[in-house]
Parts: sequence; structure tokens; C-alpha cells
Amino acid sequence: MEKYTLIITEKPNAANRIALALDAEGKPERMVEKGVPYYLAKRSEEVVVVPALGHLYTVADKRKKKGDYPVFDFRWVPRYLAERGVEHIRNWLKVISKLAEKAERFVDACDFDIEGSIIGYSILKYACRGKEKSARRMKYSTLTKEELEKSYTNPLAHLDFALIKAGLTRHEVDWLYGVNLSRALTTAARNYSGRYATLSTGRVQGPTLKFLATKEANINCFVPTPYWSIKAKVKIGEMVFEAQYEKKVIEIKAKADALNSSCKDKDGEIERIDIKKFKQMPRLPFDLGSLQSEAYRLFKFTPMTTLSIAQRLYLDALISYPRTSSQKLPPTLGYHSILKHLGRSPKYAKLAAKLLAKPPLKPIEGKRYDPAHPAIYPTGSLPEHFLKTTEKNIWDLIVRRFLAVFAEPAIQQSLKVTININGNRFQLIGRKTFEEGWLSFYKPYIQLEDVLLPSMKEGQKVNVKRVVLERNFTKAPSRYNPSSLLKKMEKEEIGTKATRAGIIKTLQARRYTREDKIVVTDLGFEVVDVLKKYCPSVVSLNLTRKLEERMDEIQRGKETRENVLRGAIEILTQVTKNLKENERIIGERLSQAIMKARMEEKVIGTCPICKSGKLVILQSKKTGKRFIGCSNYFEGICKTAFPLPQKGIVKPLHNVCKSCYWPILRVWIKRKKAWKLCFNPNCPSKINGAK
Amino acid sequence: MERNELKCQVCHRETVKKGYCYLHLKAYENIVKKYGLWRKALKISWKEYLSEIEQNSLTGEWAKEVASYLINNEGKMSVEES
Repeated sequence: MEKYTLIITEKPNAANRIALALDAEGKPERMVEKGVPYYLAKRSEEVVVVPALGHLYTVADKRKKKGDYPVFDFRWVPRYLAERGVEHIRNWLKVISKLAEKAERFVDACDFDIEGSIIGYSILKYACRGKEKSARRMKYSTLTKEELEKSYTNPLAHLDFALIKAGLTRHEVDWLYGVNLSRALTTAARNYSGRYATLSTGRVQGPTLKFLATKEANINCFVPTPYWSIKAKVKIGEMVFEAQYEKKVIEIKAKADALNSSCKDKDGEIERIDIKKFKQMPRLPFDLGSLQSEAYRLFKFTPMTTLSIAQRLYLDALISYPRTSSQKLPPTLGYHSILKHLGRSPKYAKLAAKLLAKPPLKPIEGKRYDPAHPAIYPTGSLPEHFLKTTEKNIWDLIVRRFLAVFAEPAIQQSLKVTININGNRFQLIGRKTFEEGWLSFYKPYIQLEDVLLPSMKEGQKVNVKRVVLERNFTKAPSRYNPSSLLKKMEKEEIGTKATRAGIIKTLQARRYTREDKIVVTDLGFEVVDVLKKYCPSVVSLNLTRKLEERMDEIQRGKETRENVLRGAIEILTQVTKNLKENERIIGERLSQAIMKARMEEKVIGTCPICKSGKLVILQSKKTGKRFIGCSNYFEGICKTAFPLPQKGIVKPLHNVCKSCYWPILRVWIKRKKAWKLCFNPNCPSKINGAK
Repeated sequence: MERNELKCQVCHRETVKKGYCYLHLKAYENIVKKYGLWRKALKISWKEYLSEIEQNSLTGEWAKEVASYLINNEGKMSVEES
């Protein structure tokens, strides 16, 4: 090969796409060296496209002594020097370095955001030996041929160094917080109990766990209060409707009783009819957060799952770059062309044609703007290979949302009928859709139920069939789920769109939280309390928000990296000193909580036979096999035992079987789909063959 | 077994006030605060109230534990003490 241009991409799929787009004949040559794929594309010049595997470099302790803290000296090193299980990165970097030796020009084509910029920068700086200053930058939001060609022929003159500096600082600050606090907690617990357990916290993880713990405490301390509501079953025409007393909540029983008696055996009269026509505007284009929320609402995908599916769809050039906070779809995207291309699919043909028949195309947009990427949109390309159901769901959701943003608002009418029953006002609410507008484009994902009322007029008498007095109780606040927690993190402006989903996953991996409706465990409470007591600044939302602001200021050139790092080290010096001084008591509290968490993982629920013992996952000393046994066995009260699958991971679900109400488990065997297990041999669902 | 003076009356945690840890103290304070609403709504006594909330499936776990503790130690406690 003669001298060539070396393009660095973030992932292998992106390298393949870029090479395909840039090769004059669309047939780039795929080479593999030491297991590392790269591509040769021929055009007026030779182009070599080599991928990274996400981050190839990371921040690490400068010293060799591991586990000690505080640690403030760090450096950027290849990941294989700092992490286990990534030895293949050594060869990867060797191949990139070799390709860089003969390259004449360098182009960074990693994703255009903070993480992508750091990946490209560190490879150019370290593996390509100081080429970060001369390299050019490709900027694109989709992996379509047209956009890639355009971004290659018109690259940015240089890397975005302000963005890179801000990103590097974020990594370094997060590393300083994470490594020091996590080591402090882990060391305290290990020194006390002599057993190792990974405990972690960080600049974003700490405050996130704190507001989860606050919510959990509010739920656990909740005391319901009684209230009453009154409904009247009224006959209008031939149909019976339920009208609600105008005050939905009556706090005093005596008052509710008096009202109820006053309505008894009385007929009503329609006092007033209020009709309101209103427009329901289309939902905004998807940014990453709203896509994750919607995917959770509809398919129960966690934010992390949605992100990884969206990432795959992006690499298949089916959608634009998903890590965006933009709610804008600029006209430069070429709405017409995208719709026309989508129309090739029979599924979207009618919908696309409907929009194309009514120009001008103008999408509804939100306020949020991301300078790097537009909102998530379909590229117009159709799948080239079979999509999994999960991928199909997310792609369809993105396509339909995109179509819906160009559609007309829905026109609906609400009807409020006030019925007077012996001086007491009741209300009947109806709703009717006149024009579906965007709802017809987004229909599978939105419930539209009209409540139709017969024609009525003011002064009309209505027959009251029955008046019902209901006693209710106030309910505890709802738990966060992965989607609402993500929204909360966005609202509180902590973490970034790229890191939030990972933090939610880490909290569960550390046993601080469990289940989808996030429950904070005793260990989670203990960690929050220890941090609150000995280093309150670490769980302070204000502190982390201020740090975020300062890092944004680095990007705007108003703050320096050195200042931010110095500030973080000053805080951490004091924090680690406090933690060290109280290491024994912290260790005791954490060790007890870890033990309890380990026990909790084994407890399945109350024994359905003796009703007083707990069913626990045990291991037979004789055979080594695991089984379920009752804790009352040791008291000689209950001999209940059930067999368990011997392979895979078994975890209590803290839920009951819908058929027999026995506790259920989740069984997960590697490379197989996890399933719910009801271990009751006489469960009706098993007898009926439903399971 | 002798109860450690520094331990919460309901769980193993360290006591912060009135014999409760910081978590059960919050539950206790909530119980006391909500009694006013229950008394106004149903004209019930403190004892009846505790029994109502202890049996209510919507009551939070820690509030239930405190209510249960107060029921069993009713001779020693009264709402006036709080």
C-alpha cells in the first residue's frame, strides 16, 4: 500500500459502513490482522478504515499499589493495563499503531459526542503517536452512504479540543470520586469482616442512590389516611352511567354519610352541560431519554436495553445517532426523501403517502437542542437483514413517532355534564375524537378510548338508580422504575445521556437496589447513611450539579481543567480523611448490611405450609445440591423442602404465582432466556398444563 | 436476651431519638402526625388508630413495625408522650 488516509471509527460496524460508503465500487477489501478487522477502500486515493472497540484507553492509578486510598495521581493508559478480561486490546492497539506508521492523513470518524471524541483523541494521541493535532474530524448523524460521503469530503478542520478537554476532565473527576470512595467503602468492610465484597459509589451514583433511598423511606414510613368518595349511578336514555360527586375526596366520614343520605331515593336534574373542543398536539421527536421512557412504558425495556438496541439500529444505518438530547429535526435532513424511502415498506406506504400528499412538511419540535446531533429519526433505509423482535419494536416506534410529528393535531371534544341530586352536584365526563390526526400514525402506541354520552339537554330529569359511598385510603408514592429514575436524573441534571442508564444498572449489580420497580435494599440504605454521615458532600445533588456546570464551562472556555481537578481533590482529601478515621464503625455497619443482603438473596418468601418459617435456598452438605427448605426445619417444626434446577442462577422474585400465590423464582441459565419458576408441585397452572 | 440501649426498639440500627433509629423515627413521627387526620375523620382513639394502620395493607413496612411495637407496649406509651 502507498501512503493512505487512516480513518478511525468507534466500532467495527461503523468501520464497515464507512468503508462501504467511501469505496468507489462499494466493495472495500476486508483485512484481518491479529484478529483485528480493518478495511481498504479505493477511490481517488487509498483509505484505510480501522475500528476501535469503544474506549481503548482509560484513567488509572499511577502507582502500582492497588486498593490503597486516597489516590490522586493518575494517568491515561491502554485499558488492558488497568482492567481484567480485555487483553485483546493489546493487539488491537498494535494493529492501529502499525497502520498509523504508513498513514499520511488521519481522520477521526468516531461518534460525534463527548465519548466518541475522547475515543478518537486518545487513539490519535497515544496509538498514532501525536496525530491528534493534525487529524480532521468527520461529523455525521447517520451511517447512510450520502451522509458519510459528504462528511468525508467536507470534514471539520480539526478535533473539537474544548469538548475533548471537558470530556477528559469528566472521566478524571469521576475516576477520582469513584476510586477513592469505592476503595474506602470496600476496605472498611473487608478490614472489619475479613471478607471481600465490591462496594462502590461515585459522583453521580451517590446522589442517585440518595434520592432512591429518600423515596424508599417515604414509602416504608407511609401511613394511609382514610377518605370517602360518592358515585351516583344515573340512567340516561337506556344506559346507566356513573357520575362522580364534585368533590372527589371527602375527608370526614360523618360528612360523607350525610351526603349519601341526602341523595338517597332522590332523582336528579341536568343542571349544566359544558362542551369543550380541543386540539391534542403530536408528541415531540424522540431524544434518547424520551425514547427510553417510551420503550419502558410500551415494552418494559430497561433504558440500557433500549440504548443498546438503538445503537444496533444506528450501526445498521436504520436510525440516526441515538445518544442525543435534541428535540429538533432540521429541514436539512430531507424529510421528503426519508418519507419516500420509508414508503417502500408496505407497512408505512399508506402513512408516508398521506404525509407526502400534504406539503409543506413541518415537524413539531421541542425546545431542547443538541449542537452535535438532531433528534432520533429513521434514515429511510429498510432493514437489510432479519431484525429481532426487540429491534423491530424500537425501529417501528421510532418510525411511527417520526411520521406522527409531521401529522395534524388530533381534534377532540370533552363533555362535562353536571347533575344536581337534591342540591348535591355530580359530574359525568365524556370524550369524543373528531379527527384522529397524528394519533392514526402513532396508534399502536397510544390508547384512545372515547367515552360516548347520549344526547342530553339542560333541565332534563335523570333517574338515579343508586348512590354508592366508597371508603378509600391515600396511597404511598410510587416507586421509581428504570424509566422514571432516568427522567428524575435528567431533571436533576446529574450524569449524562450516555452514563445514566449504566449507573442504574450498577446500583442493582452492587445489591443497593433490586427489582424493576426499584426497591432500595438494606445495603443501599446503609451506604447512603454512611455517606450522609461521614461525607455528606458526596451525596449532595448541589455539589455534583456544580461540578457538571464547571465541566460544561471548560467546554465553553470559561473554566480550566486544572481548576476543576484541584477542586475535586480538595474535597476528596477531606472526605477520605473522615472515612479513614471512622473506618471501623463504617466497616461494621457495611459488613452487617452485606451479610443481610446475602441472606435476603436466599430468602424466597414465607413458607406456604407452616406459614411462619421462611423458605430459603439451601445447599445440601451431603450431595452439594441446592434445594428450597423451610427455616423452621432447624426448630423441628416444618420439614418442607422442594428441589431446584441445579444449573444457572436462581433468584427470588419477591412476588407470588398468580395461580397458587406461592412465592416464585427467576431461573437464568447462560445463553438461555430467563424464566419464572413456581416450585409448587400442585400449582393449578401446572395441573392444567398452562405452564 | 438483654436489649442494647443504643439499638433501635424495632431493629438493630443505632438509636438517634426516642429509642428509634433514623428510619423508624421517621415512621413514628409520621404515625403521630397522621393521627390528627384519622381522629378528625373517624373520631377514633389512639389505640384503635394503631390497630387500623397496623392491619392496613397500604401502610409502609416500617410504619407497620412501629405501630406493632406501640400496640405491644401500649401501657408504656401514649400519644401525649410524643
